[in-house]
Amino acid sequence: MKKVEVFKPVLVSNKERARENRKFFDGMDSLVINIISSPGAGKTSIISKLVEHFKNKHTILIIEGDIKGDIDSSRLSKLKVDIVQINTLTECHLDAFMVAQVLPKIEKKYDLILVENVGNLVCPAEFEIGEDFKSAILSTPEGDDKPLKYPLLFHLAKVVVINKCDLLPYVNFDLKKAREAIKGENPKAHVFEVSAKTDEGLGELYRFLERKLDAKKKAKR
Amino acid sequence: MHEYSVTKSLVDLCNQEADKNNLNKIHKITLKIGRFTGFSPDSIKFYFDYLKPNTKCVDAKIIFKEVPIRIKCHDCKQESVLDEPLFLCPHCGKTDISVISGREFYVESIEGE
Ligand SMILES: Nc1nc2c(ncn2[C@@H]2O[C@H](COP(=O)(O)OP(=O)(O)OP(=O)(O)O)[C@@H](O)[C@H]2O)c(=O)[nH]1
Ligand SMILES: [Mg+2]
Ligand SMILES: [Zn+2]
Repeated sequence: MKKVEVFKPVLVSNKERARENRKFFDGMDSLVINIISSPGAGKTSIISKLVEHFKNKHTILIIEGDIKGDIDSSRLSKLKVDIVQINTLTECHLDAFMVAQVLPKIEKKYDLILVENVGNLVCPAEFEIGEDFKSAILSTPEGDDKPLKYPLLFHLAKVVVINKCDLLPYVNFDLKKAREAIKGENPKAHVFEVSAKTDEGLGELYRFLERKLDAKKKAKR
Repeated sequence: MHEYSVTKSLVDLCNQEADKNNLNKIHKITLKIGRFTGFSPDSIKFYFDYLKPNTKCVDAKIIFKEVPIRIKCHDCKQESVLDEPLFLCPHCGKTDISVISGREFYVESIEGE
């Protein structure tokens, strides 16, 4: 018997690939946001709002990750925005290799790349894809305890969007509790309370992202 | 759920390391797994049994070594081990902390011949 000390991360190849993707995006000056939530929390709805708000001033690409089909892409295509679709087939998350496969399709510079990950609160958190940061979306009907039950995503997300705040009067969701739970996982998270239906709270999110877009451009110079 | 692809990476990594070190067969894989990862040892075991035939891992078993969640508080400077990923300093209750360990997921060693 022979023992070999290995000390290598199992996901080493994903991490390395994510680093290559990040280099590619940095070379293009693109701010890349990996948007993660459970199914139906409002990823596509929020992305639509961001596109409408930013498209006159910035170039935008959407990378749309779905297990199957292109329903969200066709919804978003009405906004006349560039979209690349990734179908993950059996996988419940996007990984760095799937994103790497579509890089050759990115032929021009985009200021903002919004990646809609597969609807899932668990798995996508574990796989870097080369993003600048992750944004978690939590919708009020899901309950204020989700950050406690799915801590990894909330720990890693720089931005947490609490969506469907228009439904607060009808659902059992305590904003204060949710904020405390998020803070418990990630004291540095930027938390926004919004509604993609009524537009409430979105202005603050736009201003935050505008600053991030500026910072990304300046980092290059 | 995602353990299939993760276990595939694990088997690939172990086979590569066996090749590099002239091992024909792996008997034991020691895997460090932090308590703050989303990976379940049970599903890794399940997919491992499915993936190992016709590889150098065919007779291997995995030893899981769990790594606790350890944090350091920037306020009171103390280190603590958490049972759950709830990031409050148990000494002073502050949230300005760094995670020191718990996110590990790596192959520590392989044994074989
Ligand atoms: N009331 C209300 N409904 C919303 C809001 N945001 C989204 N919805 C609705 O919630 C449903 C799901 O929204 P999507 O944007 O498709 O959610 P998603 O996260 O992209 O869903 P998947 O891609 O399937 O995981 C749709 O019917 C939206 O119209 C909101 O702020 N308030
Ligand atoms: Mg969607
Ligand atoms: Zn402390």
